[in-house]
Amino acid sequence: MVGPHEILGMARVLGIGTTEFLALYSDNGGVTLRSEEDGRCVFVTPSGCRVHPQRPLVCRLYPLGRSTDERGEERFVVFPAQSECEAEAGRDGTVGSFLESQGVGPYLGWSRRYGELYRRMIGLLDRLDAEGEHDTSEADAPAEAAQAGSGSGGSGQEPDRAPLSPWQDIDASLNEYCAAKGIAIPTEIDDTIALHLRAMEEWLDDMESRLGLAETGSNPSSLT
Amino acid sequence: MGKQDEGKTVTRREVLKLAGTAAAFCTSFGFLHGSQTGGSIRGKSKGISELQLKWRQAEIKWYSGDVLLHSGEFPSKVLKHLQSDEMATVEIKWFRAGKLQQNLGKIAANR
Repeated sequence: MVGPHEILGMARVLGIGTTEFLALYSDNGGVTLRSEEDGRCVFVTPSGCRVHPQRPLVCRLYPLGRSTDERGEERFVVFPAQSECEAEAGRDGTVGSFLESQGVGPYLGWSRRYGELYRRMIGLLDRLDAEGEHDTSEADAPAEAAQAGSGSGGSGQEPDRAPLSPWQDIDASLNEYCAAKGIAIPTEIDDTIALHLRAMEEWLDDMESRLGLAETGSNPSSLT
Repeated sequence: MGKQDEGKTVTRREVLKLAGTAAAFCTSFGFLHGSQTGGSIRGKSKGISELQLKWRQAEIKWYSGDVLLHSGEFPSKVLKHLQSDEMATVEIKWFRAGKLQQNLGKIAANR
Protein backbone atom coordinates (compact mmCIF):
# COMPACT_ATOMS: atom_id res chain seq x y z
CA MET A 1 0.00 0.00 0.00
CA VAL A 2 1.42 3.34 -1.00
CA GLY A 3 0.28 6.92 -0.60
CA PRO A 4 0.79 9.75 -3.07
CA HIS A 5 3.74 11.20 -1.12
CA GLU A 6 5.47 7.81 -1.21
CA ILE A 7 4.87 7.51 -4.93
CA LEU A 8 6.48 10.92 -5.31
CA GLY A 9 9.56 9.84 -3.36
CA MET A 10 10.01 6.60 -5.29
CA ALA A 11 9.46 8.37 -8.61
CA ARG A 12 12.20 10.85 -7.74
CA VAL A 13 14.63 8.02 -6.91
CA LEU A 14 13.92 6.55 -10.35
CA GLY A 15 14.16 9.95 -12.03
CA ILE A 16 10.62 9.89 -13.42
CA GLY A 17 7.37 11.74 -12.76
CA THR A 18 4.52 10.44 -10.68
CA THR A 19 2.27 10.04 -13.73
CA GLU A 20 4.78 7.69 -15.30
CA PHE A 21 5.42 5.93 -11.99
CA LEU A 22 1.73 5.20 -11.50
CA ALA A 23 1.44 3.87 -15.05
CA LEU A 24 4.50 1.65 -14.78
CA TYR A 25 4.69 0.49 -11.20
CA SER A 26 1.31 0.77 -9.47
CA ASP A 27 -1.71 -1.48 -9.38
CA ASN A 28 -5.21 -1.65 -7.90
CA GLY A 29 -6.05 1.93 -8.71
CA GLY A 30 -2.63 3.27 -7.78
CA VAL A 31 -2.74 2.15 -4.15
CA THR A 32 -0.34 -0.80 -4.32
CA LEU A 33 2.98 -1.48 -6.00
CA ARG A 34 3.00 -3.98 -8.79
CA SER A 35 4.18 -7.51 -8.08
CA GLU A 36 6.03 -10.03 -10.16
CA GLU A 37 4.31 -13.30 -10.98
CA ASP A 38 5.93 -14.97 -7.99
CA GLY A 39 4.55 -12.30 -5.68
CA ARG A 40 7.75 -10.31 -5.23
CA CYS A 41 7.51 -6.56 -5.26
CA VAL A 42 8.49 -5.15 -8.64
CA PHE A 43 11.35 -3.23 -6.99
CA VAL A 44 12.99 -6.18 -5.26
CA THR A 45 16.14 -7.29 -7.08
CA PRO A 46 18.91 -9.73 -6.15
CA SER A 47 20.95 -6.75 -5.03
CA GLY A 48 18.19 -5.22 -2.97
CA CYS A 49 15.37 -2.72 -3.24
CA ARG A 50 15.60 -0.32 -6.19
CA VAL A 51 13.85 2.46 -4.30
CA HIS A 52 15.29 1.81 -0.84
CA PRO A 53 16.13 5.45 0.02
CA GLN A 54 12.47 6.37 -0.49
CA ARG A 55 10.84 3.03 0.34
CA PRO A 56 7.26 3.34 1.56
CA LEU A 57 6.21 3.38 5.18
CA VAL A 58 4.82 -0.15 5.02
CA CYS A 59 8.29 -1.43 4.08
CA ARG A 60 9.98 0.63 6.78
CA LEU A 61 7.56 -0.65 9.40
CA TYR A 62 7.83 -4.36 8.62
CA PRO A 63 7.53 -6.58 10.67
CA LEU A 64 5.20 -4.09 12.31
CA GLY A 65 1.85 -3.21 10.80
CA ARG A 66 -0.03 0.03 11.44
CA SER A 67 -3.71 0.84 11.24
CA THR A 68 -5.63 4.01 11.98
CA ASP A 69 -9.26 4.09 13.00
CA GLU A 70 -11.83 6.75 12.08
CA ARG A 71 -10.78 8.90 15.04
CA GLY A 72 -7.19 8.87 13.85
CA GLU A 73 -5.94 6.61 16.62
CA GLU A 74 -2.98 4.51 15.57
CA ARG A 75 -2.34 0.91 16.43
CA PHE A 76 0.78 -1.14 15.78
CA VAL A 77 0.85 -4.90 15.54
CA VAL A 78 3.51 -7.49 14.78
CA PHE A 79 3.11 -9.46 11.57
CA PRO A 80 3.44 -13.22 11.76
CA ALA A 81 6.88 -14.39 10.65
CA GLN A 82 7.08 -14.99 6.90
CA SER A 83 9.09 -18.04 5.92
CA GLU A 84 10.17 -16.40 2.64
CA CYS A 85 11.52 -13.30 4.36
CA GLU A 86 15.23 -13.22 5.16
CA ALA A 87 14.94 -10.26 7.50
CA GLU A 88 15.87 -10.79 11.11
CA ALA A 89 13.32 -9.69 13.65
CA GLY A 90 13.49 -9.84 17.41
CA ARG A 91 11.33 -8.69 20.28
CA ASP A 92 13.91 -6.56 22.04
CA GLY A 93 13.22 -2.88 22.41
CA THR A 94 10.05 -0.86 22.00
CA VAL A 95 7.83 0.11 19.11
CA GLY A 96 9.07 3.68 19.52
CA SER A 97 12.73 2.73 19.30
CA PHE A 98 12.07 0.56 16.26
CA LEU A 99 10.22 3.36 14.48
CA GLU A 100 13.08 5.73 15.20
CA SER A 101 15.64 3.27 13.86
CA GLN A 102 13.75 3.03 10.57
CA GLY A 103 13.43 6.77 10.06
CA VAL A 104 9.66 6.64 9.85
CA GLY A 105 9.01 9.94 11.65
CA PRO A 106 8.40 12.06 8.54
CA TYR A 107 6.32 9.29 6.96
CA LEU A 108 4.09 9.00 9.99
CA GLY A 109 3.76 12.78 10.01
CA TRP A 110 2.65 12.87 6.38
CA SER A 111 0.34 9.93 6.91
CA ARG A 112 -1.35 11.70 9.83
CA ARG A 113 -1.84 14.85 7.80
CA TYR A 114 -3.33 12.93 4.89
CA GLY A 115 -5.46 11.18 7.49
CA GLU A 116 -6.90 14.52 8.60
CA LEU A 117 -7.91 15.19 5.01
CA TYR A 118 -9.36 11.68 4.72
CA ARG A 119 -11.61 12.25 7.73
CA ARG A 120 -12.82 15.51 6.19
CA MET A 121 -13.61 13.61 2.97
CA ILE A 122 -15.62 11.04 4.90
CA GLY A 123 -17.45 13.86 6.65
CA LEU A 124 -18.32 15.42 3.31
CA LEU A 125 -19.44 12.09 1.84
CA ASP A 126 -21.60 11.40 4.89
CA ARG A 127 -23.18 14.82 4.53
CA LEU A 128 -23.78 14.34 0.81
CA ASP A 129 -25.17 10.87 1.41
CA ALA A 130 -27.52 12.14 4.10
CA GLU A 131 -28.83 15.14 2.26
CA GLY A 132 -28.33 14.35 -1.42
CA GLU A 133 -26.70 17.74 -1.86
CA HIS A 134 -25.04 17.12 -5.18
CA ASP A 135 -26.03 18.53 -8.52
CA THR A 136 -27.27 15.71 -10.75
CA SER A 137 -28.04 17.88 -13.75
CA GLU A 138 -24.73 17.54 -15.51
CA ALA A 139 -25.39 16.17 -18.95
CA ASP A 140 -21.86 14.98 -19.43
CA ALA A 141 -21.60 13.17 -16.12
CA PRO A 142 -20.36 9.83 -17.54
CA ALA A 143 -17.45 11.48 -19.29
CA GLU A 144 -16.71 13.52 -16.21
CA ALA A 145 -16.91 10.46 -14.03
CA ALA A 146 -14.20 8.82 -16.10
CA GLN A 147 -12.09 11.93 -15.82
CA ALA A 148 -12.72 12.35 -12.12
CA GLY A 149 -11.70 8.79 -11.43
CA SER A 150 -8.37 9.00 -13.14
CA GLY A 151 -5.74 11.64 -13.20
CA SER A 152 -4.16 9.95 -16.16
CA GLY A 153 -7.29 9.17 -18.10
CA GLY A 154 -5.74 10.04 -21.41
CA SER A 155 -2.73 7.82 -21.00
CA GLY A 156 -4.44 4.65 -22.20
CA GLN A 157 -3.94 2.83 -18.92
CA GLU A 158 -5.91 -0.29 -18.15
CA PRO A 159 -8.86 0.61 -15.90
CA ASP A 160 -7.51 -1.28 -12.86
CA ARG A 161 -4.19 0.43 -13.21
CA ALA A 162 -5.47 3.97 -13.54
CA PRO A 163 -5.39 5.89 -10.25
CA LEU A 164 -8.64 5.98 -8.31
CA SER A 165 -8.20 9.72 -7.87
CA PRO A 166 -6.28 12.42 -9.73
CA TRP A 167 -4.91 13.53 -6.33
CA GLN A 168 -2.76 10.38 -6.24
CA ASP A 169 -0.72 11.84 -9.09
CA ILE A 170 1.10 14.63 -7.28
CA ASP A 171 3.01 15.95 -10.29
CA ALA A 172 -0.11 16.21 -12.46
CA SER A 173 -2.30 17.68 -9.74
CA LEU A 174 0.33 20.23 -8.71
CA ASN A 175 1.01 21.19 -12.31
CA GLU A 176 -2.66 22.09 -12.55
CA TYR A 177 -2.77 23.77 -9.14
CA CYS A 178 0.40 25.83 -9.65
CA ALA A 179 -0.68 26.91 -13.13
CA ALA A 180 -4.01 28.11 -11.74
CA LYS A 181 -2.30 29.94 -8.87
CA GLY A 182 0.58 31.28 -10.93
CA ILE A 183 3.16 29.86 -8.55
CA ALA A 184 6.29 27.79 -9.10
CA ILE A 185 6.25 24.04 -8.68
CA PRO A 186 8.50 23.05 -5.75
CA THR A 187 11.57 20.98 -6.43
CA GLU A 188 12.17 19.49 -2.98
CA ILE A 189 10.12 16.45 -2.00
CA ASP A 190 9.04 17.84 1.39
CA ASP A 191 7.95 21.15 -0.15
CA THR A 192 6.06 19.31 -2.87
CA ILE A 193 4.18 17.16 -0.37
CA ALA A 194 3.35 20.21 1.74
CA LEU A 195 1.92 21.99 -1.30
CA HIS A 196 -0.04 18.89 -2.28
CA LEU A 197 -1.61 18.83 1.17
CA ARG A 198 -2.40 22.54 0.91
CA ALA A 199 -4.00 22.12 -2.51
CA MET A 200 -6.15 19.27 -1.22
CA GLU A 201 -7.08 21.28 1.84
CA GLU A 202 -8.24 24.18 -0.34
CA TRP A 203 -10.26 21.74 -2.46
CA LEU A 204 -12.01 20.45 0.66
CA ASP A 205 -12.40 23.98 2.09
CA ASP A 206 -14.26 24.96 -1.06
CA MET A 207 -16.68 22.04 -0.93
CA GLU A 208 -17.23 22.40 2.81
CA SER A 209 -17.97 26.07 2.29
CA ARG A 210 -20.58 25.32 -0.33
CA LEU A 211 -22.19 22.74 1.93
CA GLY A 212 -22.19 25.04 4.91
CA LEU A 213 -19.70 22.94 6.84
CA ALA A 214 -16.92 25.49 7.00
CA GLU A 215 -18.13 27.17 10.18
CA THR A 216 -18.97 24.03 12.10
CA GLY A 217 -15.43 23.35 13.21
CA SER A 218 -15.30 20.24 11.07
CA ASN A 219 -11.81 21.09 9.92
CA PRO A 220 -9.32 20.09 12.57
CA SER A 221 -6.41 20.48 10.21
CA SER A 222 -3.81 23.17 10.62
CA LEU A 223 -1.92 22.57 7.41
CA THR A 224 0.26 25.31 6.08
CA MET B 1 -9.97 22.25 -9.00
CA GLY B 2 -11.60 25.62 -9.07
CA LYS B 3 -14.84 26.75 -7.57
CA GLN B 4 -18.14 25.90 -9.14
CA ASP B 5 -20.68 28.31 -10.51
CA GLU B 6 -22.88 30.28 -8.16
CA GLY B 7 -25.99 28.39 -7.17
CA LYS B 8 -24.50 24.91 -7.44
CA THR B 9 -23.77 22.78 -4.44
CA VAL B 10 -21.42 19.95 -5.23
CA THR B 11 -21.35 18.43 -8.68
CA ARG B 12 -21.56 14.76 -9.50
CA ARG B 13 -18.02 14.94 -10.81
CA GLU B 14 -16.81 16.32 -7.49
CA VAL B 15 -18.65 13.61 -5.58
CA LEU B 16 -16.97 10.97 -7.73
CA LYS B 17 -13.59 12.58 -7.25
CA LEU B 18 -14.21 12.81 -3.52
CA ALA B 19 -15.27 9.18 -3.27
CA GLY B 20 -12.35 8.01 -5.41
CA THR B 21 -9.88 9.96 -3.31
CA ALA B 22 -11.37 8.70 -0.05
CA ALA B 23 -11.23 5.10 -1.34
CA ALA B 24 -7.64 5.52 -2.46
CA PHE B 25 -6.56 7.04 0.86
CA CYS B 26 -8.48 4.45 2.86
CA THR B 27 -6.42 1.71 1.24
CA SER B 28 -3.15 3.58 0.79
CA PHE B 29 -2.87 4.67 4.40
CA GLY B 30 -4.67 1.80 6.12
CA PHE B 31 -7.38 4.08 7.51
CA LEU B 32 -10.19 2.05 8.95
CA HIS B 33 -13.73 3.31 8.67
CA GLY B 34 -16.70 1.71 10.35
CA SER B 35 -19.24 2.12 7.60
CA GLN B 36 -19.44 -1.43 6.35
CA THR B 37 -22.77 -3.14 6.73
CA GLY B 38 -22.93 -6.82 7.43
CA GLY B 39 -25.63 -9.41 7.78
CA SER B 40 -26.41 -12.62 9.53
CA ILE B 41 -25.26 -16.10 8.67
CA ARG B 42 -28.27 -17.89 7.20
CA GLY B 43 -26.94 -21.38 7.20
CA LYS B 44 -24.52 -23.79 5.64
CA SER B 45 -24.93 -26.03 2.68
CA LYS B 46 -22.27 -28.46 1.50
CA GLY B 47 -19.62 -26.50 3.37
CA ILE B 48 -20.54 -23.23 1.72
CA SER B 49 -21.44 -20.40 4.05
CA GLU B 50 -24.21 -18.15 2.83
CA LEU B 51 -24.25 -14.60 4.12
CA GLN B 52 -27.09 -12.17 3.69
CA LEU B 53 -25.37 -8.90 2.90
CA LYS B 54 -26.07 -5.50 1.61
CA TRP B 55 -23.32 -5.05 -0.94
CA ARG B 56 -22.75 -1.38 -0.41
CA GLN B 57 -19.17 -1.79 0.67
CA ALA B 58 -17.13 -4.94 1.05
CA GLU B 59 -13.81 -5.38 2.76
CA ILE B 60 -11.31 -8.12 3.28
CA LYS B 61 -9.76 -8.16 6.72
CA TRP B 62 -6.63 -9.95 7.76
CA TYR B 63 -6.25 -10.96 11.38
CA SER B 64 -3.60 -12.52 13.54
CA GLY B 65 -5.70 -14.14 16.24
CA ASP B 66 -8.00 -11.34 17.32
CA VAL B 67 -5.67 -8.59 16.15
CA LEU B 68 -6.64 -6.83 12.95
CA LEU B 69 -3.56 -6.48 10.75
CA HIS B 70 -4.97 -5.03 7.55
CA SER B 71 -8.21 -4.12 5.89
CA GLY B 72 -8.75 -3.60 2.18
CA GLU B 73 -11.83 -2.93 0.09
CA PHE B 74 -13.04 -5.25 -2.66
CA PRO B 75 -12.07 -3.97 -6.11
CA SER B 76 -14.83 -1.76 -7.48
CA LYS B 77 -15.60 -4.00 -10.44
CA VAL B 78 -16.16 -6.95 -8.11
CA LEU B 79 -18.44 -4.86 -5.92
CA LYS B 80 -20.45 -3.67 -8.93
CA HIS B 81 -20.87 -7.28 -10.02
CA LEU B 82 -22.08 -8.26 -6.57
CA GLN B 83 -24.52 -5.37 -6.50
CA SER B 84 -26.00 -6.12 -9.90
CA ASP B 85 -26.18 -9.92 -9.94
CA GLU B 86 -28.16 -11.79 -7.28
CA MET B 87 -26.52 -15.03 -8.33
CA ALA B 88 -23.02 -13.65 -7.91
CA THR B 89 -20.69 -15.33 -5.46
CA VAL B 90 -17.26 -14.60 -4.08
CA GLU B 91 -14.88 -17.51 -3.69
CA ILE B 92 -12.00 -17.10 -1.30
CA LYS B 93 -8.84 -19.05 -2.02
CA TRP B 94 -5.57 -18.90 -0.19
CA PHE B 95 -2.42 -19.18 -2.29
CA ARG B 96 1.23 -19.22 -1.36
CA ALA B 97 3.88 -18.85 -4.02
CA GLY B 98 1.28 -19.55 -6.68
CA LYS B 99 0.11 -22.81 -5.11
CA LEU B 100 -3.39 -23.25 -3.79
CA GLN B 101 -3.24 -23.84 -0.04
CA GLN B 102 -6.91 -23.85 0.82
CA ASN B 103 -10.29 -23.01 -0.68
CA LEU B 104 -12.23 -21.22 2.03
CA GLY B 105 -15.54 -21.45 0.21
CA LYS B 106 -18.04 -19.18 -1.44
CA ILE B 107 -20.08 -16.28 -0.18
CA ALA B 108 -23.34 -15.76 -2.03
CA ALA B 109 -24.50 -12.26 -2.88
CA ASN B 110 -28.10 -12.89 -1.83
CA ARG B 111 -29.85 -9.70 -0.82
